Amino acid sequence: MNWNLFVTELVSGITHGSVYALIALGYSMVYGILKLLNFAHGDVYMVGAFIGYGLITVFGGPLALDVNVVLLLFLMFGCAMLGGGLLGVMIERFAYRRLRNAPRIAPLITALGVSFFLENAAQLVLGAQYQSYNSFSWTNSPIALNGFTLPAHARVSYAQIIVVVGAIVLMIFLTLFVQRTQTGKAMRATSFDREAASMMGIDVDRVIVVTFFIGSALAGAAGVFNCIAYQQVWPYMGFQAGLFAFTAAVVGGIGSLPGAVLGGLLIGLAESFATGYISSTFQQAIVFAILIAVMLIRPSGLLGRADVKKV
Amino acid sequence: MFRRLCLVAVVAATAAVAAGCGGGSSSKSKTTSAAGGGGAGCSGTVSLGMLAPITGPAGSIGSDQLHWAQFYVTQWNADSSNSPKLKIVQGDTQLDPSKASTVAQQFASNKSIVGVIGPAGSDEVEATATILKKAGLAFASGSATRVSLTDGKLKGFFFRDVPNDGVQGPTDADYMASTLDVKSGDTVMVVDDQESYSTGLADIVGKELKGNGVKVVRESVSQKATDFSSLTAKVSSDTKVVFLPFQIASEAQLFAQQLKSQGKSAVVFGSDGTFDSSKFTADGSYISFFAPDVTTLSSAKDTVAKFKKQFPGGTSPFGAPNYVLAQIYAEAISTICKNGDDPTRAAVRAEIAKTNLSDTLLGTPVKFTMNGDVAGAKFHVFKIENGKYVTVS
Repeated sequence: MNWNLFVTELVSGITHGSVYALIALGYSMVYGILKLLNFAHGDVYMVGAFIGYGLITVFGGPLALDVNVVLLLFLMFGCAMLGGGLLGVMIERFAYRRLRNAPRIAPLITALGVSFFLENAAQLVLGAQYQSYNSFSWTNSPIALNGFTLPAHARVSYAQIIVVVGAIVLMIFLTLFVQRTQTGKAMRATSFDREAASMMGIDVDRVIVVTFFIGSALAGAAGVFNCIAYQQVWPYMGFQAGLFAFTAAVVGGIGSLPGAVLGGLLIGLAESFATGYISSTFQQAIVFAILIAVMLIRPSGLLGRADVKKV
Repeated sequence: MFRRLCLVAVVAATAAVAAGCGGGSSSKSKTTSAAGGGGAGCSGTVSLGMLAPITGPAGSIGSDQLHWAQFYVTQWNADSSNSPKLKIVQGDTQLDPSKASTVAQQFASNKSIVGVIGPAGSDEVEATATILKKAGLAFASGSATRVSLTDGKLKGFFFRDVPNDGVQGPTDADYMASTLDVKSGDTVMVVDDQESYSTGLADIVGKELKGNGVKVVRESVSQKATDFSSLTAKVSSDTKVVFLPFQIASEAQLFAQQLKSQGKSAVVFGSDGTFDSSKFTADGSYISFFAPDVTTLSSAKDTVAKFKKQFPGGTSPFGAPNYVLAQIYAEAISTICKNGDDPTRAAVRAEIAKTNLSDTLLGTPVKFTMNGDVAGAKFHVFKIENGKYVTVS
């Protein structure tokens, strides 16, 4: 048994899974309340990544950073989450709000349109070139290069640790917010029954705005997490990440937050182990085969609940 | 309401029939004029079509190619002794063969276009070849390197000013054997990015290496992959070289960085798609490329400076061959006019086939073989040392 390979793939899978989980949470939150699949969510992740890249550039670029790395990371996450959140709110306000009572195909198509718009706008404004966080070469703190050696001589970089720990912290905050705050309670009530929640005096519009803000903020953070570990940022990066995260949300049970996390980790690990033990060529095929298998066995997802309709 | 609907339906049907008849008759006339080669006269402005992925995932490559071609045309037009004046008509293909076909059809129908620069990708060339050939248009690519494109079926129509993969593959395999000490029994990992350029080149290099008794491990990743750590974990300690025929230089950089961070000693060898001194800078890596990086050529210094003034921002080695293609077209059209003829599509094709430039921006001569390849083409091998590309072969 090649333990070095096993541990390396495990670390890689957990890191990827953490990023997918953060994006998947946004999908699940929005679907839970609005029954809308926000296909533009992957592009909010892309915008978050670019915001982080912008800050690196402002502070001198990766090879000449003139700011403390810890401060830089906090600024990157803060700005990416704020920027992502505000973008999500704007998307909801201008693209989806008027379609709340329209047939479900209408907001779905609009979501695709918003996705294409964001991708092409990013390309127009920021250029088509691939950019790189280059955290392997950050002045004095190459966080993607330096790290620890685990058992079996497997390496884990500081960047990967930041991704996993950061994702866990954000998920804990989200859980506490949803479970312990008034707004969180209102969100749960709205996702259960929007009409009833409205009748109980809950400002549903405000709840939806908060949901979009939080979900999009998580996507923005995921963009920065991904790029400090894996470097590349370009206008079309949101498509594949969004697709995998959507798959994760569905596998875990769309609408279920724990399900989104579980689905993200499962997809991340499946990707890594498929590459390591089967073939990198079939990586995506295996991920989607898992989706199909789960849908056949448990259509509502691993932790989702079946919709019960009163007849 | 029903009567209104009927009226609308009748109007729509009439419009459709009119458009069909008009399109049919115009396509007939277009076909006739295309076969007769109807281009603009020497006194006016002659148009060149440019098929490139100006937007989309390969937008950076296509934009660069367009900019270099536009730059040449700007220089040509600025010289009052040059005649006729030229104009570039852009066609965005997004590196998608289906979109390339649509744009090619538009070019074919545009009588003012006498020749085409592009398409960029080998798949796009194959998708547009029938359309452009039927329209009598010459089309010349500065980046489509698939060997089969010049097997004779597009003779006299398709040209390229870069060597093909049939040259690159053996060059890379020979270099690995002769200089990187890859011997029979050694292991080389070949990773393609699932695009046709990459898989084709990976196959050629794999075959050459296997012919030398080398053990070849084939892997494949999506061009959209953002992480290679799972794959680099599979690189065994006895792997001497990892060959990456990628089209995105930053992906090769990431692969090399992740390989290093995992403590692997295999040498990374990239193909011409990874040639980008601003993105792929992993020390100790090698890259093969069909031309020198013009930004490092002393003979091209002035031209590069003028280019950067017109188009600030980065440039990649994919761009400069399109400058040369624009030059080839310009000189061909100028020669035709000087001979007192009209620059028709057929005349432009015939003149391009006779191209014989002893020196170009690329630092190499350009003369086409019978099938459209550039004669005597060779690939160069570079080594990255302290972030700089040093020619080693």
